Amino acid sequence: MTTEQTPEVFADATRAVGEAIIELTDVDKFFGDFQALKDINMNVGRQEVVVVIGPSGSGKSTLIRCINRLEKHDAGTIIVDGIELSEDIKNIQEIRRETGMVFQQFNLFPHLTVIDNITLAPRQVRHYPKDQAEEEAMALLERVGIPEQARKYPGQLSGGQQQRVAIARSLAMKPKVMLFDEPTSALDPEMIKEVLDVMVELANGGMTMIVVTHEMGFARNVANRVVFMADGQIVEVGPPEHFFTNPQEDRTKLFLSQIL
Amino acid sequence: MTAASPPIHRETWIEQVKKNLFRNWWSGLITVVLLPTTGYLAYRAFKFFFINGQWEAVQVNLTLFMQGTFARDEQWRLIAQILIFGLAFGVGLGTASGAAHDRADDAGLVFKRSSLADTLKRMWSLVAFIALLLFFASTDETGNLINPYLVVAGGLGLSFVGYQAFRLPRRLRNLGWLLTMVLLVLGFQVVSGFDAESWVPLSLILGSAAYASVPTEMFDTAATRQAVKVLAALGAVAVVFAIYRVVDAPGIGWDEWSGLHLTLMTSAIAIVLAFPLGLLLALARRSTLPALRLMATTYIEVIRGVPLITLLFMGQFILGFMVPAGTDLSDITRAIAAMTLFTAAYVAEIVRGGLQSLPSGQTEAGQALGLAPPTIMRRIVLPQALRAVIPAMVGQFISLFKDSSLLFIIGITEFLRVRTLVHAQAAFRGVAIAETLVFVAIGYWAFAFAMSRESQRLERRLRVSR
Repeated sequence: MTTEQTPEVFADATRAVGEAIIELTDVDKFFGDFQALKDINMNVGRQEVVVVIGPSGSGKSTLIRCINRLEKHDAGTIIVDGIELSEDIKNIQEIRRETGMVFQQFNLFPHLTVIDNITLAPRQVRHYPKDQAEEEAMALLERVGIPEQARKYPGQLSGGQQQRVAIARSLAMKPKVMLFDEPTSALDPEMIKEVLDVMVELANGGMTMIVVTHEMGFARNVANRVVFMADGQIVEVGPPEHFFTNPQEDRTKLFLSQIL
Repeated sequence: MTAASPPIHRETWIEQVKKNLFRNWWSGLITVVLLPTTGYLAYRAFKFFFINGQWEAVQVNLTLFMQGTFARDEQWRLIAQILIFGLAFGVGLGTASGAAHDRADDAGLVFKRSSLADTLKRMWSLVAFIALLLFFASTDETGNLINPYLVVAGGLGLSFVGYQAFRLPRRLRNLGWLLTMVLLVLGFQVVSGFDAESWVPLSLILGSAAYASVPTEMFDTAATRQAVKVLAALGAVAVVFAIYRVVDAPGIGWDEWSGLHLTLMTSAIAIVLAFPLGLLLALARRSTLPALRLMATTYIEVIRGVPLITLLFMGQFILGFMVPAGTDLSDITRAIAAMTLFTAAYVAEIVRGGLQSLPSGQTEAGQALGLAPPTIMRRIVLPQALRAVIPAMVGQFISLFKDSSLLFIIGITEFLRVRTLVHAQAAFRGVAIAETLVFVAIGYWAFAFAMSRESQRLERRLRVSR
């Protein structure tokens, strides 16, 4: 464990603004011999928007996939809204209900209509009656701007529309935290904005969000904090204005010079 | 402004012949060799079918081919079965068509209903086979079939009546499915009998229907609702049980079936039983419990390594050691058990292939929503996996249907073995061997081909809806 030169910015920024809803302490994750996450310490506060950036293979996706146990972390503790992630399946499901996730590849259920995609979990998990679930689903579709697509199948929609349905599907469980795993990376350029708009609206509405993305505009304008990861480690954390204008670490400077 | 149209070049027939048959020297050579060969074979086939063939062997024994040694004075049961199955076929088709229409409407797609005529066209092999049967029947002087035209017309008419189920409003759609299943059971039992012990299939169907459809909105707690559903199901089961007790009309059990009827029924029964068993085996093989996984894997690999005929023999000679002493199993029951156990192993492997073909993102999306693993399996994974394997599954069922001819070897008079009865008759001893064989082959082909066409269509339709 080498934590020799920890800059002041880093120490401050790991702490969440206000009360923490997600707390990661000394989290490690291995894929075979490869260490995907090293010593991750990170807190996310309520209603905070944290954007995670970094080169591919740096462990960004693995980080958020550990938070809802799509990947099992090998060491350290992860606490979501007061519940610690453990082997207990009840515990895991409890946390998954609190956290929505949006995937790069949308992962809509192709055999179900849009509205059935959205109502599946509320009806199965929360045991909502059909009418109530559909009413709420329609309200969510209004919110993401595509109520007219409710009875279509995902295959009939454009990529941007599919991703908006995926967001609505997550929101239907009324999660306290939303995890976004490169939500715009699989989209054609002209569709990126419609998805980002929904995410901005969500952030303005006070949703706690962790967003893995390459959209620097979004990071700059919406994030409360930006986390830069490389080689499975958190290299630098800071508020976007500070992060983009005055990065401290060489690795960060190199990355930013490559993409900006 | 008119768009420029591409230049039109109409090919003359000489050009077409040149393009299709004599494109270059080797295609010309193939044509020169194949054309006379095909012509000669066609000529021989024509002579066999229409001039030299001694089709009396089939004509006179048509009833024997259809029902084998099934008691002639109970033939009305088979007629009733054909009529009821005709109705069930129609109701099922109509309900499916109505459901497809609803889905298309919802998704904003144009729906073109296929008419009953289209369906018959799709199943042309069966239509042709039935026409052949009618042709033979009409020239059969012994006339021992109950007016066959009437039966066919009745079956068609009833399926047309049943097809009107597509008019059912959406909320009654499930009623159509329920009716189809009830009719299938009744059609089966009109032959096998409504004796007091045969209450199980119908009570399973009506019990689960009652469980699913009893209104429970007026009850507040989930526990009460559940209790009401269970009570309704038990009530339905009790009513069915009581009715069978009262009716108690024995029929002709499958031990006494034979001919094409037996072939079709044993295959259908084995398919209906093998599918759920195979599904369970596939899930067990993917289970996280090592013991369960090992058992399923062992079963599948052992069965798949053994020829069906071996299993059929084992069914006859070894199954007796495995069931409690005093249990009297008929040959046909043993054969159906062997066919089911055999096919289940293959179904399991097919389903496993479907499960593996599904991208992991589907399961992850379900997990991320907080769904329980059984729900993910039931609502997300299985519906997609099963759709993906329809062609392979139907292929397996077709081979089961054809393999039912192996029952011949263990002494059961199925469709193929009827021939030995025919050629034991004085008039046909040693003659018309080819004719009866060709007739049986056409019979198998007609059903197998119809199944294969139907699966292709189902595959196309389901692909459209995703």
